This record gives sequence, structure tokens and C-alpha cells, in this order.
Amino acid sequence: MIKLPPYLKKGDTIGITLPAGYMAKEKAQTCIDTLQGWGYEVLIGKTFSSKSKTYFSGTDEERLNEFQAMLDEPGIKAILCGRGGYGIGRIIDQLDFTAFKKNPKWIIGFSDVSVLHAHINRNYKIATLHAPMAAAFNEGGYKNKYLHSLKDALQGKKANYSCKPHRLNHPGKVTAELVGGNLALLAHLIGTKSDLQTKGKILFVEDIDEQHYNIDRMMHQLKRSGKFDALAGLIIGGFSDMQDTERPFGKKVYDLIHELIAVYNYPICFGFPVSHDKENVALKVGGIYTLSITPRTVILKER
Amino acid sequence: MNRKNFVSSILAAGAAIPALGYAVDEQPENAAVIPAYLKAGDIVGITSPAGYITLKEIQPAIQQIESWGLKVKIGSTIGKRDFTFGGTDAERVADFQQMIDDTTVKAILSARGGYGFVRIVDQLNFSKLKTQPKWMIGFSDITVLHSHLNRNFGIASIHSKMCNSFPDDWSKAEPIQIETILSIRDAITGVQMKYNTTPNEKNKKGITTGILVGGNLKTLESLAGSKSDLRTTNKILFVEDTGEYLYSIDRMFWNLKRSGKLDHLAGLIIGGFKIKASEDAAEEFGKDLYEIILEKIKDCNYPVCFDFPVGHQKNNYALKCGVKHQLQVSTVECTLTEIK
Repeated sequence: MIKLPPYLKKGDTIGITLPAGYMAKEKAQTCIDTLQGWGYEVLIGKTFSSKSKTYFSGTDEERLNEFQAMLDEPGIKAILCGRGGYGIGRIIDQLDFTAFKKNPKWIIGFSDVSVLHAHINRNYKIATLHAPMAAAFNEGGYKNKYLHSLKDALQGKKANYSCKPHRLNHPGKVTAELVGGNLALLAHLIGTKSDLQTKGKILFVEDIDEQHYNIDRMMHQLKRSGKFDALAGLIIGGFSDMQDTERPFGKKVYDLIHELIAVYNYPICFGFPVSHDKENVALKVGGIYTLSITPRTVILKER
Repeated sequence: MNRKNFVSSILAAGAAIPALGYAVDEQPENAAVIPAYLKAGDIVGITSPAGYITLKEIQPAIQQIESWGLKVKIGSTIGKRDFTFGGTDAERVADFQQMIDDTTVKAILSARGGYGFVRIVDQLNFSKLKTQPKWMIGFSDITVLHSHLNRNFGIASIHSKMCNSFPDDWSKAEPIQIETILSIRDAITGVQMKYNTTPNEKNKKGITTGILVGGNLKTLESLAGSKSDLRTTNKILFVEDTGEYLYSIDRMFWNLKRSGKLDHLAGLIIGGFKIKASEDAAEEFGKDLYEIILEKIKDCNYPVCFDFPVGHQKNNYALKCGVKHQLQVSTVECTLTEIK
């Protein structure tokens, strides 16, 4: 059974760190202010004042040490990744989850953070939070319902999301554990010890800035490695900023995905608000949800 | 290994796989089934299992192959187009399947790569190939086929340039173009292959032997977890790629490392890597290709050779996948020699 970390109380501390790409501290200020406004203390990691001149927010060692310290510090009740980018895969095998297993805490983020979600789900059976990160609070984002869903999740309010029906949906109703994340990362983790197990679960995927053929290739990889075979349900999130080759692929992204999964009888929905765009609700990887799809409605309700 | 032993080893492995770990040594990928080499008058089939190509574009390849004393059979997908593909999936399957099943076709040359082999590989019936193996030729997207053949049937195949790389005018071709195209002829007609490269100071020295496997890195990664997933233990692995960012190359090598594919290699060959520059100069990756690769294998002792002439580049020689080779890396030279 999946273990849920304790929900946050007023005055609890959230650690904010950059385990992957670089981010200037100013860009996280609205996030920090908002978290404080929600009643939490915020501990800002040194990776936010890194002198790094590269893509990364610091050396592997710096990023690793900071994340490790936040995992181990009992006073920190949740760890929010400031941004994704690329880099958690470089440090994941060096992270020690011993203290985290004893005292689980919420690990929050998406995109590259899918590595953590998959790794923790696969190895430790502890729930994590796939949710917007620091940049999503900017430009008024902190007021929107997606950030509000993160606030609710941290407080332990059960989620009840709905989205518009889509012509490609497969109707049905199922209750199961929810897992998922960024498609490119999930494909990349196949064969490793962070490889997500999907049997009997509701899987969600989203992606950004990929070629159509590459989405097709990754979906084929998931299919050919058996990830779709025994799902309880499938949620296709946003596929933002898709690219096409000079010789066009010839199908829209949702159509090419649907073509691959049309053979399955479980409930499937398209266009769910989990994405690199503004539409990105907080989802508990490892949480139990009921996915209910009818021709007129799509509801994902947390148990 | 003769055909009878090969068949029995498949049966033995098939029976043992579900429960028994020790069946690994019986895996067909180590069986090294070498198709018959081509003789004068033999037929090379040309098909488009991935991207589309016109009949005109393959004329230089046809002329060159005929000049080797071979005949060419032009597949029904040549000139077909379904958006980026050389015909619909069904059309590409049908063409490739008839090339497999036609006993007069002794080698199947993929006209070009692009994307699309993975969409048809599970629909192809390789049973005829198991009893009558033939040479499969190509690279890039065709890595799916090389990997699938090695993993499932142990059938050797040829990683080389395809029709779209044959020079239009042979008389004006550069020596490297001529040499690399002729290396395809040598490979399919049974010449013992030997390659020399200039040493790179980052190479790791040593002598090793093993079955040569590999191909396009991105394609190999995308096969992880599938039944075409390459096994690399005790093999010499070669990889190449084009148009990828350094972070993406880093991530792909992490996949190889974290899935255990780098742990027990006999040797590692790094071909050409055309790296896509970061769009934002402030987002430099901070590590070069050598660092990215060498940090993943710092605890491994096998020989490593950089700058090997394989990849999306002019110096892309024909390599026999699934065939035993010796790799010798020293300070003065680096050689890869087919073991007959």
C-alpha cells in the first residue's frame, strides 16, 4: 500500500531547491511569497544563489547535497523543486532515501522531477506530488485554480477535478492508484531501477517541445515495453509546443497517440489539465483516484 | 554454429526463459548466425521501411550495385509516400515482408532511414529468415532492425550507408565516399572487414574480442524495455548520433548505464556525434562528449575508442553487427578486425 506523507500545517517548513536546471532567485520570489502567504515557512536552498555558469543550478555534488539535506532534515515537511529542466537523472542514484522512508515528506514538481516521482513510486511506495513549480506562480499564476490545487493538496483537501470531454475519449469508470509524469522521462527511465510500474494503475502522461515522430516513438516504446497492457485507465495531458518535421508526420499528436492505444478497453481521456502550460493541476503520484469518463464529463476524484 | 544447433538453442532458450536465469547464455543473440554472402548475379532488394524516397533518388545506388555484378529488385514502397513515410504502415510491412519471404532476394537494403521501422517491426514475420537468413543493410532508424535481429535471432546484419548516400556521379565522388560505399560491397560479399582509426588521447587502451552490436544511440534507447532491446554483455558496443543536445546525449548514456548496458561490455566504440548547439549561450551544458561518456564508465576497464568512422557522416563504413570482432586500442593505432 502506498504511504501518504503527512499533510502540512500552518507554520510548517517547505524547502525549495533546484535539483536540475538553473533559476534566478528573483524568478522564484512570487512562489516564495505565496507559500509564506499560505502560512508556511520557506527555506531557500543555496542552489538559488549558485554561481553556476552552466545549464545546471550547481555541480552535481551541490545539487545532490542540498536535496539530501532537505530529505534528511526532519524540520522540512515538503520539498518543492524550483524548476525542472534536466539533471535529476544525474544524481538520483546517489540520493539516500533512508531517512525519507522513515519520515516521508511531500516532494513536489513535474517535468524532470518525473524521475523522482517514478523512482520513489517504484522503490519506496511513498506518494509524491506532481504539481506546478516556482515559475507557475509568476504573472498572476499564484491566483489561478491550478496553484490553488497545489495549496489544497498540501493541506490534505481531497481533489476533485473535471475537464472537457474529447472526441477520442474512451468512456468508463475505474478506481486505482495514479502514476505518471513527463513522457520523455518515463520512456528514458525504462530498463533502469527507476522504471515506473504501471500494472493496474491509472497512468497520466504529458510532454512539451517534441517532434511528432518522437512522441510516436516514445509511445511505441511504452507500448512495446508493456506499459499500456494492464492499465486501469489512461490520462493524456497536454502536449505543448509540438514540432513537426519538414516532411510532416501526417497526424495530430492526439490522433497519433489514440491510434496506438485504441485497442485498449480501459477508460482513456485526452486533454486533461496536466501539462507544461498553465493548465496543470496537482496530482498525487501514488494516490488513489476514481477516473470517471462519460460522453459528457471527465472527472478525476481522489479517494 | 550450424542451423540445426541454432534452432535447438532457440527452443532451449524459449523453454527456459520464463523461470530460469541460467538460460541467458543460450540467448539467440550470441548464436552469430551469418547469412550467406552474395555472389555475382545475386539479388539485392531495396525497400523503404521508414522515410519515403523516390525511384530517381535511388538510381545511383542501383547503378553502383549492378556494377558489382549483383541484381536489384525494387520494392513496391520505392516512390510511395504517406506523409513522412515510404507508404502506409501496411504498405511498408507488405514490401518488407515479401523481401524477407522471396528466396531469390539475398540481401535487403533499406533505401533510407528517417523514422518508421518501430511502427512495423512487430508486424513482420521473421520465421522465414530463421531458416534462410539474409543480409539486412542500413543504419539510423534501421538500428531497430539490427537490434531486433540480434536480440531475437542472433542473425548478423550490416550497419552502413543507404541509397540516399550513394554519390550521384561516381566519377566526381570523394575518395571517402567511394571507400565507404565499397565497404558495403565488401561486407556483403564476404571480405574480412578491418578498420583503422587515428588514436584519440581520450581512448582507453586494451585488446578485446566480442560480438559487435550497436547503432544509433537515440534509437537504442527507445528500444529499452521492448523485445527488441539490445543485450550488451560481453559484446563490443558502438553508438553514434546526430542532431541531439548534449543534455540529451547525457541522458541517453545515463539510460545505458542505469539499465546495466555499460557494465559488462567487451569494448566500447564511439562513432560520430553531431551535437546540436544550445540555443541559449547562458545554458551551456558544461561537459563535453568525452566527459559525458567517460564519467559513466569510470569504473569499467574495457577498451574505449573515440572518433570511430561510423555515423551520420561521410566516413561511415559498413560494420557487421552480430559478428565477432577484435578491438585493439593502443597509443599508436586503433583497429577493429572481423574474426572469421
